[in-house]
Amino acid sequence: MNSNCSIIFIRALSAGALFGLLLVSGLASGEAESPGAQSWRTLDQLTPWERERVDLRTNTPRDKKVPYLPAEPFPFTAPYTAEEMGFRAMTFTHTARWSHVMADAFGTITKEGYLTQGVTVAMIDQMDSPNAASQIAKKPGEAYSRHMYYYTYPPKSDGVQEMWVLRRTGLESPAKLDYFAYTPSLRRVRRQPPPRRETPFPGVAQSFDDILGLEAWEFDWRLIGADVLHETVRFPTNRKTITLAEPNGRFYDVATDSIKLMQERYPFYKKDDGVNCFVVVGTPKQDWLPDFKVSKVIYWLDQYYFYPLRIERFDEEGKLKMIEVRIAQQENKALPNGEGFASNLVVYFDAELDLISYSLHDAHLMQEWAEEDLAAFTPDFMRRRWLKYPQQSQSMVNSPEEYYLRPSLFPERFPSERSMTVSPVIAARIAAQNKAGHLVFGSVEKKDNSEAP
Amino acid sequence: MKVACQKWLSYVAGPTSRVVLSVVEKAPLKVMSTLALAASCALAGVAFAQDDFAAFDRSMATFDPGGKYLTKPIERALPGLSINGTITHWSDYLVHDDEDIGFRDRDYRGLQMQTLVEIGASYRFSPNLELTSINHLMYDSVYDVDGGDGLYAKRVDDSYYKYNTFDRIARELYVSYRTSKLDVVLGKQQIAWGKMDGQFIDAINSMDFRESVQLEAADYEVRRLPMWMANLTYFFDDVSLNVLWIPDFEANVNPAYGSAWQSPLLPPGDENARNNDALLNNRSNAAGDRVLQTKRPDWKHPSDHQIAARLDIASGALTWGLVYYYAWERDASPFVTGRFTDGSGDLLIITPEHERLHHFGATSDYAWVAKNVPLIGTLPMVFRAEALYTKDANFVDYRNLAAVRSGGSGNGISEHDTLRAALAFEFAFPSKISVIFQPSFYYTFDWHEGLGVGYGGAIGDEWNFAPVFFISRPVQRTRDRLMLSATITPYLSGSNKDYQGTKTKLMASYEISPFINGSLIYTDYHGGDDDGLFGQFHQYDNIGVELQYEF
Repeated sequence: MNSNCSIIFIRALSAGALFGLLLVSGLASGEAESPGAQSWRTLDQLTPWERERVDLRTNTPRDKKVPYLPAEPFPFTAPYTAEEMGFRAMTFTHTARWSHVMADAFGTITKEGYLTQGVTVAMIDQMDSPNAASQIAKKPGEAYSRHMYYYTYPPKSDGVQEMWVLRRTGLESPAKLDYFAYTPSLRRVRRQPPPRRETPFPGVAQSFDDILGLEAWEFDWRLIGADVLHETVRFPTNRKTITLAEPNGRFYDVATDSIKLMQERYPFYKKDDGVNCFVVVGTPKQDWLPDFKVSKVIYWLDQYYFYPLRIERFDEEGKLKMIEVRIAQQENKALPNGEGFASNLVVYFDAELDLISYSLHDAHLMQEWAEEDLAAFTPDFMRRRWLKYPQQSQSMVNSPEEYYLRPSLFPERFPSERSMTVSPVIAARIAAQNKAGHLVFGSVEKKDNSEAP
Repeated sequence: MKVACQKWLSYVAGPTSRVVLSVVEKAPLKVMSTLALAASCALAGVAFAQDDFAAFDRSMATFDPGGKYLTKPIERALPGLSINGTITHWSDYLVHDDEDIGFRDRDYRGLQMQTLVEIGASYRFSPNLELTSINHLMYDSVYDVDGGDGLYAKRVDDSYYKYNTFDRIARELYVSYRTSKLDVVLGKQQIAWGKMDGQFIDAINSMDFRESVQLEAADYEVRRLPMWMANLTYFFDDVSLNVLWIPDFEANVNPAYGSAWQSPLLPPGDENARNNDALLNNRSNAAGDRVLQTKRPDWKHPSDHQIAARLDIASGALTWGLVYYYAWERDASPFVTGRFTDGSGDLLIITPEHERLHHFGATSDYAWVAKNVPLIGTLPMVFRAEALYTKDANFVDYRNLAAVRSGGSGNGISEHDTLRAALAFEFAFPSKISVIFQPSFYYTFDWHEGLGVGYGGAIGDEWNFAPVFFISRPVQRTRDRLMLSATITPYLSGSNKDYQGTKTKLMASYEISPFINGSLIYTDYHGGDDDGLFGQFHQYDNIGVELQYEF
């Protein structure tokens, strides 16, 4: 057994031990909530197990060489500070942190029901460890992951390609990625300016930061309590099944009401399929992000792996800007500590524009790139217009009425931290969708309602 | 409101809008009135039919008959085959009244009313082997609809009017074989080198320049003239080497007599040209000289083949590359090869001939993020540079030609090295505002008065400098479906002329659906003398409509 295998074996053993420990404690706290009971708890209402799992200190020892990192090495051990939870959550970016290929079906719908959808085939080369450790350990400016995207739908986007080289940031190295694009109509590979991080992609709700993830050292973190999530992504009642694809391209149907927050392989569900979460707040550090248009982010992290199931973003004035909700799935069973969980379906709700976007990762094929395959991860590869892995997805929405619902606002939870006010017209649309069980278009506006459930 | 909307539509539609034009004299006012009417129509829509429009919008979002009834059924029936199609219509209309300009009888209003259907199909025999065919069908109804006497180019070349030859219809046809490190593409294809707006190292294929100064980088895809070639690329880790072997040759297509963009500076006048078959068929020129058959490269002679190579290197935030191209001049040089005398006096015998050229080029780009920029904060940006040095390009030497015409020696042609280069700075400002500033430079070595135009050199002068400014911004209220952009291209010149005019292009593009796009474009030419690059087109300001459906 070589040294790498030894490390993996030991990590698997310790993960197994942790699993058993957590399973016991999880079961202890895993009773179903009684209907209508308050699901969220402030710090003084944490359970004994939760208190043992968290470290409420905000002033922990620092790394000697890189003072903005905790002294304790990633992935840390319990009890966890809010900052350490923020670092752990870094592992779970929108795109899984291991080398793989997948079809990303995505779409956006406006409040009027104008629906656009697309599919891009992603090839990911994770250059080092399949978690956030390598990103944290790299020097500022160094690359840690390379992404190639080949758009196959709609027809006007067919053949459009992008290459992202993800780089670790530092105070003097704010660039988060090198960004190249190939446009078939120009037949040219062009380096693009690095995108503005918090600015959405054209025509959709999510920004580059939503896709690449935040870097924990750019934020101050604090724990505000715990909560139980029973829903994240909401399917409409008129969409009974969704067609998904296996890595080999075989399609299969899944009943939408059977899809759980972290799918079947998550071992810590409560009896009512709820997921226990810690709720942490990240506030941008002024010296790192002096002109960031976000005042804070709030994460709902599952209490065992720190997987972010719900993320809220607030604008400079503290008003709700964005809600991101996720359904995750364990795609990589070889990884410990739940690091094999990856985003399966994500819905983004822009609460200012009433814009709903989604991204569904389909036909997930794990890869170990051979040396010669790595030639594919260069900008000039895009000139070849070679769709090497023709992964397909049939998960797109058939009509505007079958689109994903706006996420629940949960305005009663942590009200002192969260300003969940939306405009009266958006509140009316939320009320209408909740009543109908699907998105409602046309004149549903009520002028007397400023909040929605 | 209905009347106003109809007027706006007829104004956009072109020649039938004379009543509106008689009221609104100035071009900027015309544009403003157009926009005002459009806004009025939009507001009316908001007031009266918001829900109906939203329902229409929703239905449009999934309206894709070509995909539903053509491409998808075929693809399902034939696994491995993928088909796509595009239908594009361009209509450009002059906003000026009929007028004789220079040598041109410009009694037409339509510059083009082109419909282009592109059908592409590729069949994947295996993950590595694929056959691709891209076909074009084109019809420009301006020659039938407009009725202007000045539009008679289809007598010169039918391809201005429609594509009806194998060469034009079978636009690209190639087999590609790919492995992780090697790419082999054999067949008829087009190659786009370079990263800039405009052509710098993008020198491999010839171009259909029928739109002259209004040809934009976005048009190159349908205006390049593909050639039969072997295209090999080998990929090392961060380096790629691309080699082209091109037995085929295509000459540029330039605006011919009787085409909408024929230069007003080119004699003779249309009243003579349109009835002069020898001139239209390139057997004679404006002076009455005899023009012999053009000597073209012959694919059967291996020594006539073209060869090119390109090396690209990516290194972190910097990428750069070098190119070399042993090519043929795209436009034949009119060599004086003899003289004769007829009733009108002493005339010349001209033999047009394509000459060999050596092109040496370089390209580079670099990205970085500036911090603490006043008022903006962080500012992501990219810098690009590109240059092409051409050895021994041929220029018509009008001084020498005059000397030859009066009995002196020479062939009327002068060889000069040329340089064309550009720097581009692209910025990503807040609110999705994209700005590109691209100073472009053209230089002719050993230039002297009386030189014509040669490959890569300055036009009508020793040097040209065109600081191109581009800005675009999506309108957030439309969920970025409406994109506004402006491109301003002033053309400075020296050491003879100072300024050759400015071209300004304003564009509003709207995503009607994920499959259909529409654009409204206003292009203005102002400033400079009547013999300047843009100055000669003072009276060619135009409004264009573009509609595109992709399936």
